[in-house]
Amino acid sequence: MTSEVVAEIEAQARELRASGCVPPGLEDELEACFEDVAEASLSGAGMPSVGETGSATPVTGVAGPLSLAGLRRQATTLARRRLGSSFHRLERRSALGAARAGESVWTQAHVTLDRVERLAAGSALASRVLSAVRPRELAASVAATTYPALEGPLLTWVLERLSAAKSQEVPGRPGLVLHAECGDGRFVKMLAARGLDARGADPRSSVRAAGTGKIVAAGTLEYLAATQSETFDGILLTGVVDRLRPGAARALAQLAARALAPGGVVVLVSARPEVTVAMDPVAADLAPGRPLHPVTWCHLLAHFGLSELAVFEPDPSTSDASEPDVFAVSARRPFPASLM
Amino acid sequence: MRARPIRIDQIIPSIVERDAVSHHALEAQKVLHSMGFVSEIYARNMGPGLHGRVHLLEDLPRERPERQWVCYQASIGSPAADVFASHPGLKLLDYHNISPAELVERWLPHLGGEIRLGRKQLAELAPIVEIGFADSEFNRLELEEAGYRDTTVAPLMVDTTNFSCPPDQRVVDRLAVARARGGHDWLFVGQMLPHKAHQDVIKALVCARRMFDPEARLHLIGRESCPAYADALHRYVSALGLTGAVEFAGSVSSGELSAYYASSEVFVCCSDHEGFCAPLLEAMHHRLPVVAYGVTAVPETVLDAGIVLASKSPVLVATAVQRVLTDAPLREALVRAGLERAQAFSAESARRGFARAIEQVLQAT
Repeated sequence: MTSEVVAEIEAQARELRASGCVPPGLEDELEACFEDVAEASLSGAGMPSVGETGSATPVTGVAGPLSLAGLRRQATTLARRRLGSSFHRLERRSALGAARAGESVWTQAHVTLDRVERLAAGSALASRVLSAVRPRELAASVAATTYPALEGPLLTWVLERLSAAKSQEVPGRPGLVLHAECGDGRFVKMLAARGLDARGADPRSSVRAAGTGKIVAAGTLEYLAATQSETFDGILLTGVVDRLRPGAARALAQLAARALAPGGVVVLVSARPEVTVAMDPVAADLAPGRPLHPVTWCHLLAHFGLSELAVFEPDPSTSDASEPDVFAVSARRPFPASLM
Repeated sequence: MRARPIRIDQIIPSIVERDAVSHHALEAQKVLHSMGFVSEIYARNMGPGLHGRVHLLEDLPRERPERQWVCYQASIGSPAADVFASHPGLKLLDYHNISPAELVERWLPHLGGEIRLGRKQLAELAPIVEIGFADSEFNRLELEEAGYRDTTVAPLMVDTTNFSCPPDQRVVDRLAVARARGGHDWLFVGQMLPHKAHQDVIKALVCARRMFDPEARLHLIGRESCPAYADALHRYVSALGLTGAVEFAGSVSSGELSAYYASSEVFVCCSDHEGFCAPLLEAMHHRLPVVAYGVTAVPETVLDAGIVLASKSPVLVATAVQRVLTDAPLREALVRAGLERAQAFSAESARRGFARAIEQVLQAT
């Protein structure tokens, strides 16, 4: 029966074309239009980038000559403008110095490199540029993008918080802890060494490839959105929290709260907003892709039902403050009333 | 007859929730348990929610061949295939098709490499695999072409969770408000990947709005798995002035999906490549008539329970959709045939099919 109907439909379509009901060339125009937008999307033209500041010369502008050196110059210029006097201090640090920019700016450069790599697949010129710089630059990128720059007392504080994560379902079972945007997984290993069942997730294949262990290929929001509720006893959020767009921070807090088992702990580590955005407070609050203040994170986490909020802010005046521009926030999901 | 092994374990490159092949592997495990085998799943990558149910590949035991068989779920190139190849146990391969690289690598260059690897591995595994299972005749023929000497069709065990989930009333109400203003609702469900060719459904919608139904709407359900492709689709809709007429709903809950199926009037599929296409069956189960481009396994999945077209020219697809929407007897016949077709792939029927395939291997001399 359907074959007869299909024949009738084909005949009707031919009649429609012949009768002029279909504007001549419409189908070709539709195809051409898609090819145009496809090219634009593949080249990244006009695409907002992660952490884009709205600058007139965004770091991710790869429409010009494909020169990695030029890209680094742009990153450096942008970093100077955004970070002001903090830039030189940041630049001196070995990890960030490798990228010659602040961490969040380097993240943009890294994202740009990924995009250039995609372009290279279809461009002989881009392939030549990349093949000339790939070994040195990508090795540096892997080394420099291991999130976060966690050291000293901050690291101790974070590990103590997460080490307390215990399985609430099975007494005696190691707590299941996720490090979202885990880079090469070194903190996954640290957590595992503390007896936790630690997992990692990171969307960047070049970084992930450098690591070993239980690392899943996934972005943080994507991974948490796909996670069943009450899955993890601990969640460590790094990297992604520095460059969330408005609305995404709320989503991240909600997803993290949902993914925590009762009694579970979430710890997030972020750059301070005033370090990376040199603008007045109102403008800073309206800018997309900037870190949030610890108070804002506390508010968001509490809004989604978490309690026992704590903030760790290294004291820049003390000599052991290795990361004065980074803070951490932790919160716990309370047990249901019936279990307390 | 072969000696019955104690365990039949499965190896899968990646396993995540809400994925057809992953669900199939989890269902296959249940079938193997019901047949009295010890059976675990070993994955190289696993998504959230599966820890504890699935083991990491490095933990795969290596017992004597007469005690342990291994079954590889093949759908992409992966180092997991090397682990499978080097395992001493008798080898089964369950093939779910590998999309051609040329359809995706423009958008996902890295995936193109994995796909080519997958095809290469498929051929390399042929001499050492005892039997190849395929979830469609189309896939079985590909196994034969790849050199597999013994093959059989074992149906995909489709996730029927969505079949019985009550529709989310908020979505139903929202779509009803839009429909009250006129126009029909089209639906396509599938990950936003280039070989699913969402743009061709959008082109057909443009033609339908020009020729028949100026208020027609399209709902696209599925995870945006390829950022550049998703970005192009968003731009395309904007460039065509269809913002408001095309909804990108993303990944939705089972209740929301049920609501889209319940509230839409036609399911339109213009995919360039499908190894099976479970959403076609979901649509049929939800009494939604299907209009589909008849390539790869799509004609076999649909049979005569939908309108299967030899071309996906936008005018032809739009004309087919209009016919289905306006020809009440045809629509009723398609809905009836669709329900019967969906029943043929019921969970119980598919489980029996997989168990029969395993028995076939056991009976072989």
